[in-house]
Amino acid sequence: MVRLLKFLTPPPKWKLPVYVLLGIFFGLGCYVLYLSKAASYLSDSPETCVNCHVMAPQYATWNHSSHREVATCNDCHVPHNNVFNKYFFKAKDGLRHASMFALRMESEVIFILDEGKEVVHNNCVRCHSQQLTDPKLAAKVPNHAHNTQDRVCWECHREVPHGRVNSLSSVPNARVPLPESPVPDWLKEYMKETELENE
Amino acid sequence: MKPIQESVGKKPMLGWLIFLVTLVVVFLLGLLASSIMERRAESVYAYTPQVEHGQWEPRNEVWGENFPREFESYYNTADTTFRSKYNGGAMIDMLEVDPRLVVLWAGYGFAKDYNQGRGHYYAVEDLRNTLRTGGPVDDKTGPMPSTCWTCKSPDVPRLMNEIGVAEYYAGKWSSKGHEVVNPIGCADCHDSETMNLRISRPYLIEAFERMGKDINDATHQEMRSLVCAQCHVEYYFNKNRVKGSAFVQLPWDKGMGVEEMEEYYDEMEFKDWTHALSKAPMLKAQHPGYEVYLKGIHADRGVSCADCHMPYKSEGGQKFTDHHIQSPLNNVANSCQVCHREETDKLIQNVYTRQDQIIHNRDKLEELLVRAHVEAKKAWDLGATEEEMKPILMGIRHAQWRWDYAAASHGGSFHAPTETGRIITTGVERVQEARIALVRVFHKYGFTGEVPYPDITTKAKAQEFIGLPMDKLNKEKETFKKNLVPEWDKKAKEREATYQVKM
Repeated sequence: MVRLLKFLTPPPKWKLPVYVLLGIFFGLGCYVLYLSKAASYLSDSPETCVNCHVMAPQYATWNHSSHREVATCNDCHVPHNNVFNKYFFKAKDGLRHASMFALRMESEVIFILDEGKEVVHNNCVRCHSQQLTDPKLAAKVPNHAHNTQDRVCWECHREVPHGRVNSLSSVPNARVPLPESPVPDWLKEYMKETELENE
Repeated sequence: MKPIQESVGKKPMLGWLIFLVTLVVVFLLGLLASSIMERRAESVYAYTPQVEHGQWEPRNEVWGENFPREFESYYNTADTTFRSKYNGGAMIDMLEVDPRLVVLWAGYGFAKDYNQGRGHYYAVEDLRNTLRTGGPVDDKTGPMPSTCWTCKSPDVPRLMNEIGVAEYYAGKWSSKGHEVVNPIGCADCHDSETMNLRISRPYLIEAFERMGKDINDATHQEMRSLVCAQCHVEYYFNKNRVKGSAFVQLPWDKGMGVEEMEEYYDEMEFKDWTHALSKAPMLKAQHPGYEVYLKGIHADRGVSCADCHMPYKSEGGQKFTDHHIQSPLNNVANSCQVCHREETDKLIQNVYTRQDQIIHNRDKLEELLVRAHVEAKKAWDLGATEEEMKPILMGIRHAQWRWDYAAASHGGSFHAPTETGRIITTGVERVQEARIALVRVFHKYGFTGEVPYPDITTKAKAQEFIGLPMDKLNKEKETFKKNLVPEWDKKAKEREATYQVKM
């Protein structure tokens, strides 16, 4: 360890430029974290999911659904069987989303992947298990358990909660809390003032 | 391991390699940062409106730049092809269909001209064309006050805001002709900042206040009816608030039913006009569409006007409110069938059945009212005194108010069939009571015959019967349309060209 530190320590005459360079490097890193609102990804808030504006249709349709009152994005879209799995899945899924978005690989109509489907289906069951295990129906209706449980819920409940198709252009006028300009207000004000002075 | 300095000293290539790797990493990090920045900027600019306009922008086309789908569907109200059994979007000359109306409105503007209205798109045009607004030759002539523009245009809230409400209500109808040119549209119902529904007419807010309610407490679903209630309601002109101004006022202080409003008018001894034949102090029910709707089952279940008259529609994967405000009978799939699982024909038939059942009695009431007016005239001719006639004339007033209330609330026999049927029944009862009293008067003055029913089989005959100079009225209108209207349009165009709109 000491040797490694020694190996990396710059000679005295290089120290100043190396500090400056490292500062630039970390500063740039912090800027990227600030721009991407990295801290918000630790929360469960649905606003986080519209940090990328391509999620606006999903946010808008959820926001007009009955689930708005009881469930956030994470309640359905990340597993809740244990806390490690939750954050592992969230990190994995989130990094995939972030990379697709940064590389402009998102499709015009976004569909859920198989892995995500399983998670969502399990979460439907997590809250609605009462509706799935009705002993009265199970006893009377032939193949009741089979018919209700061998398929995903939205094979029948197709509009819950996002509606059927959500293209990127399907909700042009929806009010979605998209991130605003990253330039803080005080800076904008200042720029405006100096602009006026120059005129 | 040797310090890096020594290694680099020995192999300069290693120094260059570290330099290159750092360069690439910082370069990529920079790229990532600028990509994030770009995509964030997208979310700011992707939803930037095409134009920025003021809160009281009256031109619907300007709002339409930002909301092309809503705007285009709204301008479909120009379509006049759909006619249902009794109503629809086509213009129907109601006096021709039903010449009895001419006699019922003798002495009032409606006897000159009354049409089944076309879509909102024609609001200004049709008001200019109707004989009721007469043929003014300058800004000080004509039979009507400025107030008659109130429901016709988003120029009205603009004007109220610019010159004040009392000033807007002052003067002749012709004095605002060059100001009010855009048909009913966006600014009448929407806030330009948020596109929320908003009430743009002061009298509805005031009527709520007088009833002890705050219209700001209305839910979104209630607003989807209340914006319509800015016009599709019973109202009268209050000339006592500010001298020289005719304020629109809603008679809801005692309640929103037909009896409560009648009591309100009786108490203040208000009349719209004195009947030319019977001399009765008449009330003109305007169009209590909202009040009648409130008495119906759909209102009770929380269905709003917009749910049936402006249902959701889908176009290119986008769901939005169809702004083609029209009869739901022309769009059963998106209105009725959202809740009712019946065939289109069946649903339309259900509506027609209700209308048929009610129009039969309404027509009967109409005939009885014509008889009452003519008989009252006969009584006057025989020498009846004011005192003898007073209760009779009040009976006629109340009966015709009920008839008009049912007839003028277009769609009332569907919106609230039992209430509309009830109103007509009480009207029949009142007019027959008045006619019994008339017979007593006849008896007193020794008249035992039957007063003949006038020959009013056509509009022309009926108008001749009440003595309207139709040729003169038509000629005045033609002159007005040739001289004054083009002048109004020119002035309005010049004014609107000065409006600040940011593209």
